[in-house]
Amino acid sequence: MNRYVAIFLTFARACLVRDMTFRANFILECVTSLGWMSMNLAFYLLVFTFTPEIGKGTGWSKEPFFAFVATGLIINSIVQAFFMPSAEELTEMVRTGGLDAVLVQPLDAQFLLSMHRVDFSALANGLVGVGLLAWAVPRLDQPPPPVAWLLYPILIVCGVAILYGFVIMLAAATILMGRNQSLYDFWFYITNFSRYPAEIYSGPWGGPLRMLCTFVIPILLVVNVPARVIAQPLTGQTWIGVAAAVIAAAASLVASRIVFQRAIAAYRSASS
Amino acid sequence: MVFLYTRRMHNSDPSAAAAVSDPVIRVEALAKEYRVYDKPEGLAASVRSLFHRTSRVVEAVKGVDLTVGRGEFVALLGPNGAGKTTLLKLLSGIITPSRGTARVLGHVPWERADDFRRRFALVMGQRNQLWWDLPAAESFRLHQEIYRIEPSRFERTRDELVDMLGVRRLILQPVRELSLGERMKLELVAALLHEPEVLFLDEPTIGLDVVAQHTIHEFLRGVQSRRRMTVVLTTHYMKDVAALCERVVVITRGDILYDGSLAEIVDRFTTHKIVTLDLDEVPDQATIERFGFPCECRGPQVIMRIDRNRIAEVLPEILGSAGVRDVSVEDVPLEEIVAELFRSDARDAAASAGAAS
Repeated sequence: MNRYVAIFLTFARACLVRDMTFRANFILECVTSLGWMSMNLAFYLLVFTFTPEIGKGTGWSKEPFFAFVATGLIINSIVQAFFMPSAEELTEMVRTGGLDAVLVQPLDAQFLLSMHRVDFSALANGLVGVGLLAWAVPRLDQPPPPVAWLLYPILIVCGVAILYGFVIMLAAATILMGRNQSLYDFWFYITNFSRYPAEIYSGPWGGPLRMLCTFVIPILLVVNVPARVIAQPLTGQTWIGVAAAVIAAAASLVASRIVFQRAIAAYRSASS
Repeated sequence: MVFLYTRRMHNSDPSAAAAVSDPVIRVEALAKEYRVYDKPEGLAASVRSLFHRTSRVVEAVKGVDLTVGRGEFVALLGPNGAGKTTLLKLLSGIITPSRGTARVLGHVPWERADDFRRRFALVMGQRNQLWWDLPAAESFRLHQEIYRIEPSRFERTRDELVDMLGVRRLILQPVRELSLGERMKLELVAALLHEPEVLFLDEPTIGLDVVAQHTIHEFLRGVQSRRRMTVVLTTHYMKDVAALCERVVVITRGDILYDGSLAEIVDRFTTHKIVTLDLDEVPDQATIERFGFPCECRGPQVIMRIDRNRIAEVLPEILGSAGVRDVSVEDVPLEEIVAELFRSDARDAAASAGAAS
């Protein structure tokens, strides 16, 4: 385990050195990312000038909702920084045969392929998320109980694990298909559902969609469960959500492992 | 025209495997098939292929038998698409075979056991394995972590290898700023840092100038003999083979056409030698005809192809001719022998395909 930590730190260090080599690019990436996030926040502020709450009786008034947004920023920035760049590169590695070099190394291929690139600029959004959380939480009607603070980081990890599983399964599809350039687009469509409170999915169309995105593709558990734990009073429903998030995280990791192993076994390698 | 005869030789005879002392690679009936989908031409056909695709099976490697002993330096030769690289990929566990068995260092390669992967290295001349934007020293450090190389051993090996290749000043320079030859030298250093017992080299000198090629030959020869490393090399450059390998395995159409010593390939597949005469002056037609062999004239130089069995008989006669200043007797260039070997195999394939139809 220590060896894997050491290897990850070596990857991270190398990526930081590379980012610092192309400083202007690094700064531009941070600015673009922060700009996009600021526009989103401004949009939410605008929404709250028209309504005190998103969905009547849902509890998602301005401060809890910004805690929700902050949670989403933190989870997404972790995934974007640590897993997404490697998964995106995998498409190119499969197409060009670069994956060959990975498979001959005495290291778990999934680890190497999912963590060898770190995009530090993506962490900028996460830092803003932490700041936003620090702003929103003291302004909540009820401060989160100690158990919520204990659960919150665990559920953040669960959210990251669920998304990681999706990233790996999508990347594994690249290996099976030989080419999958829609990885990032597909990712965007999936995660789009997780950006908003689950309560907005109601009615004849929203209800089934909510069930689908909770139990089949558990994307709604990613942000909703930790955000609800920190921003809203703990109820029986919250605890069901916590259990579901933990189970979904474990299932996502196991499924991603199985899919990845099968994909690697079917790897054809590119012609040289 | 080089006159050759070809015969497919298989080492399926168990005694052949037994003849290799301390085998580190044992391959039996190893085959790899790929299903390839035909991409029809035209828009309408492309749309149809979305719903119904036609495919066929391509046999990249067809039941190969091969045994390589510890410390051997073996060249895999063959035309493009012969199956050389596929065989290397099977032996290094990158791909899984369709049939057959293989053991490398006692392991089934495609099970990808860490203990196996720590004991071999693969260098591909057409692929860059070092971090592109960073100095090679960073990649070496990562390699140390991945292969769990003790710090003192790592530094000793790295220093030894970079000094042998004369690349010490390059290891702190970003890889993207290096020439192809410099990059390949650093790729070799990275591959050898963990002191592998088996080294697979896939066209390591492709695109390199003669100086870089020579340096790499010297380096590989030195490291291989010192460490008694087993090396399997694929190449299209006969200079690589002549400089490094005692054993040659010729692969065509996924099968082994010849497996034997480099000296034997020359003996077996050539019927004549090349005799070059340097004359005092440009010969006239009568002089040329007097030699009695087909000749090619380049000014005062005459190049003749003479039956190997007749060399001893005719050489004194030729040397006795007036105006001969110098003579050299050489084997047919290896490139020519191997090229003809490939061509004759392709002719055999076409003939058997014609007979079948």
